[in-house]
Amino acid sequence: MEEVDRILIHALKQVGTEVAEETLSVKQFSSELIVQAVVRCIRVIDPGLGSALPTSLPPGMSARFRVGMSLAQACQDIGYKGEIGYQTFLYSNEPEIRSLLMFLVEKLPRESAEASDQPTGKSVVLQRAIAAAIRAQLVVPWLPPNCRLPLHTETQSPGALHSFHVQPLSLPHCTKGPGKNQLKVSCFTQAPLVLKMKVNDYQRDILPPVTAQPSHHASVVASILEQHMAELSAAQEWDSEWNSQGLLSRLTPQDYCSRKLSRLRKRIEEQLRSAALPPAESAFWGPRSTSDLSEILQAFRGSAPSEHILTKGTHFTHTRKFTFTQQQAAAGTSTSIPAGHQSESDIQLRQQDEQLSLQEHFQQLCSDVEQLTTDMKHMSVTNAQVLDELKQRDLGNSENKDKMQVKKKTIDLLPDTDNNMLKLQALVEASAKRVVNLASQWEKHRAPLIDEHRRLKEICSNQDLESSRKLSEIKSLHDKIRVSTEEAKKKEEIYKQLVTELENLPQDASRSAYTQRILEIVSNIKKQKEEITKILSDTKELQKEINSLTGKLDRTFAVTDELVFKDAKKDESVRKSYKYLAALHENCNQLIQTIEDTGTILREIRDLEEQIETENVSKTVANLERIQDDYKAIRQENSALAAKVREG
Amino acid sequence: CREGCSLSPIRPPSDQSSYQVLVDVSFRSLLSSHADPGVLDQPELKRVDQIRLKQSHTAATTFILEAVKHNADESTISSCLEELSFSADRIEVFYSTHQKHRRELQLLLASIGRCPPQINDASWRLQYHVKNDQVNKVNEPFYLIALNTENKGSSEDINFTCTVEQLQDLVGKLKDAAKSVEKASQM
Repeated sequence: MEEVDRILIHALKQVGTEVAEETLSVKQFSSELIVQAVVRCIRVIDPGLGSALPTSLPPGMSARFRVGMSLAQACQDIGYKGEIGYQTFLYSNEPEIRSLLMFLVEKLPRESAEASDQPTGKSVVLQRAIAAAIRAQLVVPWLPPNCRLPLHTETQSPGALHSFHVQPLSLPHCTKGPGKNQLKVSCFTQAPLVLKMKVNDYQRDILPPVTAQPSHHASVVASILEQHMAELSAAQEWDSEWNSQGLLSRLTPQDYCSRKLSRLRKRIEEQLRSAALPPAESAFWGPRSTSDLSEILQAFRGSAPSEHILTKGTHFTHTRKFTFTQQQAAAGTSTSIPAGHQSESDIQLRQQDEQLSLQEHFQQLCSDVEQLTTDMKHMSVTNAQVLDELKQRDLGNSENKDKMQVKKKTIDLLPDTDNNMLKLQALVEASAKRVVNLASQWEKHRAPLIDEHRRLKEICSNQDLESSRKLSEIKSLHDKIRVSTEEAKKKEEIYKQLVTELENLPQDASRSAYTQRILEIVSNIKKQKEEITKILSDTKELQKEINSLTGKLDRTFAVTDELVFKDAKKDESVRKSYKYLAALHENCNQLIQTIEDTGTILREIRDLEEQIETENVSKTVANLERIQDDYKAIRQENSALAAKVREG
Repeated sequence: CREGCSLSPIRPPSDQSSYQVLVDVSFRSLLSSHADPGVLDQPELKRVDQIRLKQSHTAATTFILEAVKHNADESTISSCLEELSFSADRIEVFYSTHQKHRRELQLLLASIGRCPPQINDASWRLQYHVKNDQVNKVNEPFYLIALNTENKGSSEDINFTCTVEQLQDLVGKLKDAAKSVEKASQM
């Protein structure tokens, strides 16, 4: 009961009732307190009803009576189903008050539930943090500039602001241990080691620390953050690329990087070559099949200053050159002649003449150039033809020479024909045998080699399968790792949020006490239920026994009765024993009856005792006295009012 | 922030006094108003290999800036440092120094950016335009407003004229702005 009272008192305090600290149970509530509590609750539940009711009982008895009636009416309007009247408030008793207050407290709107219903998402948390920060800043009052404390500097007088300016930083690189350096010395020449040592010296002695490197101190922070972000994103990109493509290519990281580098270089080369081709064609004669990237870049650089190089320019460059010189010449001639209106037409005529002559000259040169190019082409074609012919003639010559040699040899052999024929046949046979021998040897070597080749191919394909299987395993493991780290992060965040929320929750009548009590009550009820079932089964057993025993008793009595009665007519002692038997049966019946009656009466006593207790709680006697006093007071007031009415 | 931890391999020197000095020096080098190339020339730090010292200094400053940027609380910082295998008392040292300088570092980070000038004062004058050289009868009131603003420590005045409606419009917009700030703080 105490917990219920504690909850009620706490809720009433929250509504605004002034409950003194010592009152720990509803039993100690006085009438005024009850009225105040009820009215405040009604005001919260239904402001329209509650505003008309006073929070304290007026002194006059009839007024009190009226207030009590209106309160009862209001409670019934809200929906209280129990018996309620003015007596509940004026002459209260504990159980009624408790149930009324519990009903009202349950009806109170749950403001607290709304606050904890908000979803706990990341953006919501961020927004709440932003709102809290804005609220904190709004609370700080604005002060004129001369009065500002350091507290206000952040929001009211910001100092010098710098834009986000970044400068590249040079960081000292990781140095490998001395062992690897020695290895490098043995494999390569001395020069890289000397360079490395110089770099080390520079990094050790001269390189300023990171915060001193940017030229403007305000850009230190920005540069450091930018550098870190660049490293971070590069690392992430490399991770994702390695996990997706690098593992598939089954190379080590260094090989993969170098292969990618050469591939990119080739692509750049192709692009530059296709872009650089038109001017390159004019500058160089003949196909350039193996131009390196650096040579193409050289060509770019070299093709810019081509003013005074006498190369075969294109039509366009030539026209450009000539118009430029023409304009220069025209400008030169126009300035050398003094300005005068008469000589203008002369100047113009002369200019036109010059222009025509120059154009003719130019056209002649063009035709010459064209002719020369065609001649050169023609000559190169004839040159190629002649070279071809020469080659063919050489081939023919060597063939003829061979034929001649063979014929010479046969002519030498002719004088001794038979022997030579035999010798030649023997030679032919020997060489044929040798060929057969060599073929068999080759076969002998070939078979095991082919088997070996097949075996190695199988092993290779098996290893391929194995490695692809392991790659897929690695990929799935990576995915699992990623998923579980994300889940772990999410769970940690949720945990943090819940911890902060738990701290923010109002720390009143503790929930753990409630839950423990509820669990205790539940276990108690379970135990009681078990006991009740046990008792019920015991009772059933007993009842069954009683029934069977009574049945047996009746049957036995009937049998003995008959038996004895049969013999009682003849024998006197049997008649006496029959009378005793009947008396015994009667007395035992009476005994049983008395026992049953005692039990019933005991039960009635217990019930009556309970009723007495409940009635005692409702302090009827004290209330009765109060009612009598109030009745007398009302009668007095009535007589006073009647006297007033009669007078006035 | 966690990934940042993995990228900045702080390898602190082995003894406690130089570690403390390194932490102090890192914070100071970020907060001082002018760049000091000799900031690492402390006597306790001379014994450490200079290249490693510079790397640790770089990593330490990066970590400090990222921690302040993310407004990391104690548990995040200590878990990050634990991942880099720092001992508990070193974490304690770092965190206490961090707490000491956190406000200044936040101000330092907040000073990057742009901000329009702030209005400190306003004075107004209501004038009545009677006539001018082109129109004989104008008869219009107008306001002369001077706003005293402050920008980067220097104050300057912004003067402008406006009609009654324009001034009402301006005041209405200011009220709207105030209301939306209130609403943002209620979220």
